[in-house]
Amino acid sequence: MVTRRLAGLLLRAAARRWPAELRADLVREWDAELHVLAGRGERWRMLRFAASLATSRAGAPVLDRAVPHRRLRRTAAVLLLAPPACVAVVVLAAVVMSLAYATLDFRVAWATAVQLPLWSGLTAAAGVLLALLVTRAARRTVRTGPLATALGVVLPVALTVTVVFTAFAGRGEQGLPGTVPGLLLWLALLVSALWGAGLLARRGRTRLAWAVGVLGALVAADAAVVLAVVSAIPSAPAGPVAEGLPPDTVDRVSAPLWLLTCWTDSSLGLPRPTAWERFLITDRVLVEPMFYLACTPYVVAYTVAAARPAPAAEPAPEPVPSPA
Amino acid sequence: MHAPYVEFRYSAGMRLTIPVAKVLSALLADPEAPRYGLDLMKLTGLPSGTLYPVLHRLQAAGWLAADWEEVDPVAAGRPARRYYRLTGEGARAARLALAELRALAPDGGTSRGGAEPAGAPAW
Repeated sequence: MVTRRLAGLLLRAAARRWPAELRADLVREWDAELHVLAGRGERWRMLRFAASLATSRAGAPVLDRAVPHRRLRRTAAVLLLAPPACVAVVVLAAVVMSLAYATLDFRVAWATAVQLPLWSGLTAAAGVLLALLVTRAARRTVRTGPLATALGVVLPVALTVTVVFTAFAGRGEQGLPGTVPGLLLWLALLVSALWGAGLLARRGRTRLAWAVGVLGALVAADAAVVLAVVSAIPSAPAGPVAEGLPPDTVDRVSAPLWLLTCWTDSSLGLPRPTAWERFLITDRVLVEPMFYLACTPYVVAYTVAAARPAPAAEPAPEPVPSPA
Repeated sequence: MHAPYVEFRYSAGMRLTIPVAKVLSALLADPEAPRYGLDLMKLTGLPSGTLYPVLHRLQAAGWLAADWEEVDPVAAGRPARRYYRLTGEGARAARLALAELRALAPDGGTSRGGAEPAGAPAW
């Protein structure tokens, strides 16, 4: 019974690969053959029969088989190359910021204050440029369901993060273990946000999809920063406080602002976080928020572009009545 | 196996591959006999995923006709099967195509194994 059901599922999956007008007859024909095999108790042959149909090329009209393969390669290239490009964006922005700081340091008093905003601004600008490139490439990538797209976008990001942070593990005080919970939370929430954005984009609600994607990604990044800070810095003094220095604590009341604090090194005119708290926060999470910033434009842009219905049907291939 | 000759050979608008030649050969063994999918799989040794696309393309080219078995599924205790048969044009074109292929083969059409019907290619 299970074999029959499994074979039936495979047959229906196989039928979906054939032209719509042929599917009903094909399923009827294959079901009849399955019935014969089932009657003979040939379970293994049933499965082979169905699996072969499900995994082999479909019949005419013969499409240009190179097109799906090209799309698949392009999709893989875009999704695998974009996250390392985000790392490059963060590094490049940091280098430019350092050069700018070296130039400004002896000339203006506000050189230190603009360090982080400059880094964030450059990262965001480069991230948007990357998103434009990715959106352009997404027109010719594989289109699949919103969840699969979200996972397809986020998993290479996770892979890149793993490789990069493993390479740098142990160099900071926190090391990799201190970074992992925040990153995992970011990735998990990012999948949810992109899934929602993809669902909306698929229904043609592009603006709402963008809003959900961007806001969701910001919430994901904010939550990741909050988790990283909360797990590392207490809210009340845990030990003796050095004379003349404020305690190494961060009041949780300003937690929602910590992501912006990391990007701007500012409290946005609010009493919290204080200058000392800002120092503690940015000392604890410095690179991660920049990586989130670099990734956000492209992940949302790709998800919306890939989920959006095609603007026009692709030209139908000429019918080729001959076997391939 | 003479794949280089077979893969790119066209006959009457039909691109002849080894699976196509096997199917035509099996059908030509008894052109009047209707064949169903499992039957053809057994005769040709082709898996279902290869056979059905070939059958469909032969149909599209007009070489093959397909009809549903006239049977009462309730009385028979099974669904109706789909039977395939070469059309008159298909039988003529298939014989010609296979003969051409056999002539192109380096060994001049010597049959291997002896299982093929008369006029069938040597595979």
